[in-house]
Amino acid sequence: MNFKLVLRIAGRTLLVEAIAMVLPLAVCFLYREDPAPFLYTIPLLLAVGGGLSLIRSNDHLFPREGFCAVALTWLLVAAAGALPFYFCGYFNTYIDCFFEAVSGFTTTGASILTAVEPLPKGILFWRSFMHWLGGMGVLVLAIALLPALGSRMLQLVKAESPGPVVSKLVPKARQSSKILYSIYCGMTLVEILVLRLVGMPWYDSVVNSFAIAGTGGFAVRNTSIGAYGSPAIEIACTVFMLLFSINFALYFLVLSGKVRQALRSDELRFFLVVVVGSIVLITVNIWPMYSGADALRHAAFQVSSIISTTGFASTNFDLWPEFSRFLLLLLMFIGACAGSTGGAIKCSRLLLMFRSIRREIRQIIHPREVHVVKLDGHVVDEDTLHSVHIFIAAYILITFLAVLLVSLDNFSFGTNFSAVVSCIGNVGPGLEGVGPMSSYAAYSGFSKLVLSLCMIIGRLEVLPVMVLFSASAWKRS
Amino acid sequence: MNVIIVGAGKVGFTLSEHLSQEDHNVTIIDTNDAALRRASETLDVMCVKGSGASPSTLEEAGVAGADVFIAVSGLDELNMICCLTAKRLGAKYTIARVRSVEYAADLEPLKRGLGIDLVINPENATALEIAQLLRFPTAANLETFYRGAVELIGFRVRPEDFLVGQPLSAQRRRFQELPMLFCAAERENGEVVIPDGAFVPRAGDRLYLIGRSDGLSAFFRLLGRHTPKSRSVMVIGGSRITYYLAGMLEKQGIRVKIIEQDMGRCRHLSEVLPKASVICGDGTDHELLEEENVTAYDAFVALTDRDEDNLIISLYAMQQGIPKVIAKSNRQNYTPIARAAGLDSVLSPKLITAGQILQVVRGMQNSKGSVMNALYKIADGNAEAMEFLVNGTTRHQGVPLRDLQLKRGILIAVLIHQGRVIIPDGSSVITAGDTVILVSRNSRILDLNDIYEESWIERGGAR
Repeated sequence: MNFKLVLRIAGRTLLVEAIAMVLPLAVCFLYREDPAPFLYTIPLLLAVGGGLSLIRSNDHLFPREGFCAVALTWLLVAAAGALPFYFCGYFNTYIDCFFEAVSGFTTTGASILTAVEPLPKGILFWRSFMHWLGGMGVLVLAIALLPALGSRMLQLVKAESPGPVVSKLVPKARQSSKILYSIYCGMTLVEILVLRLVGMPWYDSVVNSFAIAGTGGFAVRNTSIGAYGSPAIEIACTVFMLLFSINFALYFLVLSGKVRQALRSDELRFFLVVVVGSIVLITVNIWPMYSGADALRHAAFQVSSIISTTGFASTNFDLWPEFSRFLLLLLMFIGACAGSTGGAIKCSRLLLMFRSIRREIRQIIHPREVHVVKLDGHVVDEDTLHSVHIFIAAYILITFLAVLLVSLDNFSFGTNFSAVVSCIGNVGPGLEGVGPMSSYAAYSGFSKLVLSLCMIIGRLEVLPVMVLFSASAWKRS
Repeated sequence: MNVIIVGAGKVGFTLSEHLSQEDHNVTIIDTNDAALRRASETLDVMCVKGSGASPSTLEEAGVAGADVFIAVSGLDELNMICCLTAKRLGAKYTIARVRSVEYAADLEPLKRGLGIDLVINPENATALEIAQLLRFPTAANLETFYRGAVELIGFRVRPEDFLVGQPLSAQRRRFQELPMLFCAAERENGEVVIPDGAFVPRAGDRLYLIGRSDGLSAFFRLLGRHTPKSRSVMVIGGSRITYYLAGMLEKQGIRVKIIEQDMGRCRHLSEVLPKASVICGDGTDHELLEEENVTAYDAFVALTDRDEDNLIISLYAMQQGIPKVIAKSNRQNYTPIARAAGLDSVLSPKLITAGQILQVVRGMQNSKGSVMNALYKIADGNAEAMEFLVNGTTRHQGVPLRDLQLKRGILIAVLIHQGRVIIPDGSSVITAGDTVILVSRNSRILDLNDIYEESWIERGGAR
């Protein structure tokens, strides 16, 4: 394997991270807080990142290097992102900081903090800014900002982007990532303004916008979005959470005037059916608990929060009836659309899975029938279908394996299972012991590492991380 | 520029590779999943699945905004229909690859009727290149500029050559008067340099010379390596290239013997090429070659469909002591191996075609400035030789070359002033109407003005 190139790519990404930390540093100065955590971290990252990116290497970037570079970079970036937390003194151990940083970059939003309000504003800003950076992918950002790493850098984008097939918007990969980032930035700006207009303070609206744009879910209040007690804010958040869980390529289609084509997307329709269906079912289920329209509002907020894998809460949904709780757990598996900032299995994969199952059944009834699976009117080739099946199987297997490991801490099944499902799906809160009003603080260091790994596995869509841990990837031959 | 390429085969792939490296937005259309996957995995291009002749596919690929549309699928007819459709849908410039001999004969009305701006015939272009090499057998490769008045040739330095081991400036007296110049050198390790007086040639280097053809001949005579042009040629394989090549050679009065395995093909060749002698047999069979007295020929050209066969029989022919051996090989990775074994002239129709199209695309990119008349990639594509026509937009006219700040790795090799070929020195000047031939290691030269090392203000803050 081309270690030198992998290290060089990781080094460049660390440089971008160091530059990104200038923003929380500015926030520290703005609110007259102690800037030390960032003042220690930034030079350190510049030195390490600069050193690594000076490594001379050839440009032989093959899938193996691409996958390893992505997995390794994410681990390094999270480890580096944990440093400000470590230096600020509000966290107990480095593992806690690492968990928090992984949770940030993977846009999970699972926290080990029991109360966030005492933390300095700069640290909270960085926590949510990690969501924003991680939502679109740190490497995509590094590619868009830094000079080209050669034409094969596509391998990197492919390993980092969510969804079964990576479609390009325009012929140039660099241009594509620039367009996506512009859409992302534009939508984030609009969101900040809208949240401010519906009555959120400036600081909160910026930080919450980052959390929603990356579909992360780190809040700046102990009781999440519910703390504001404002229906308008909750409705605005609901809308934006849904918007950020739709494939960004569709926004590009809309912007280039192809609205019809965007609306005809199979995945979008599937997503909307799931969202509307779940909202209706949960509203009916929780109707007796709330007065009138509140049930609908809370149901809509919670469904969008979970299916977009954001993980905000407007109310403690762990107190809801069993049916609603389990439905939300299922939504944690489904997740957002491919090509969005959301996580989990993704709607398009499930859709393809359902269509393959239907085909398999027809095949039994008419053994000689030839049947192709289509998505958006295009035939999906068998290789893609195959990888979708493998993905879903691996995802579920890893979930169960992680539940087994986490069970060592002897919490209830509901806690452990929902914690793992929530982490691997990059959602954030689970049920019972890790419910929306609780935190992951009670878990042991080992379980926190397992859960951190689950988050990265979920964010990078399983296989890149597996490649990093397979012995044959590390052989020179 | 936006470029659409139909067909992700050998030529389509090479073209996309070069064009996307030159920062064009390339979209590839093909019906074959595997070919598209290979392209999308290794190149920075967009892939669209479908037929290049279908309007809906073309629209999906963005044909209305395409500056260049290139149809290089396997079928001539499909390529022509693609261009016709693309032109109707708004493509600005269309290029079709047409290889059939039948269509090639009378192209003009076809081009006009179908809206094709340029027809590329790879076999004919390859044959032309081979015919040029046979005129100058010492050269490993040969390119012409200014309607053939200037030639650029590459040759390998041998240990016994007097050039070896001394700086060029020490030799200057011997060839100062010749109208020629050393313009590029490729070391055995692949390093490419633009030689100056301090350059010391080593055995095994590939040197590139540019100048008037009489100057080049005189130089090789001085070197003791002058070989007269080939009088008789043995060609293995009766492909389309053979057909075009034999036609050209016959016109020059060169004797041609063709060895081809397929009887039907042989009969056809003997029908259309009355002067050539056509032998039906296996060209890779040494006994047959000896029987046909291969050693009596001045030149040997291997043009079978299999690259491996071509290279092996060429090595055999070299061993037999034939002065000039040329092999066709589309597989680029074989070229260095063949070169290590001493086989210098390996031609790739794929690269020749790609080079022709690249030249057109480069020329179109620069529609305002000086006109680019020719572009050749030399030294395995690591350097380029370009011919420009100087016009009013060119800056620094009338300034002696010694006072000009040129970018690194650029050499003004030849000036053609009022039809006279001049090898420039420090006092030469560029004036409007001249033709300038440059050699550059930098592949971003699109205009004559790109060669100057200037500040942003000097450029007038424009561009």
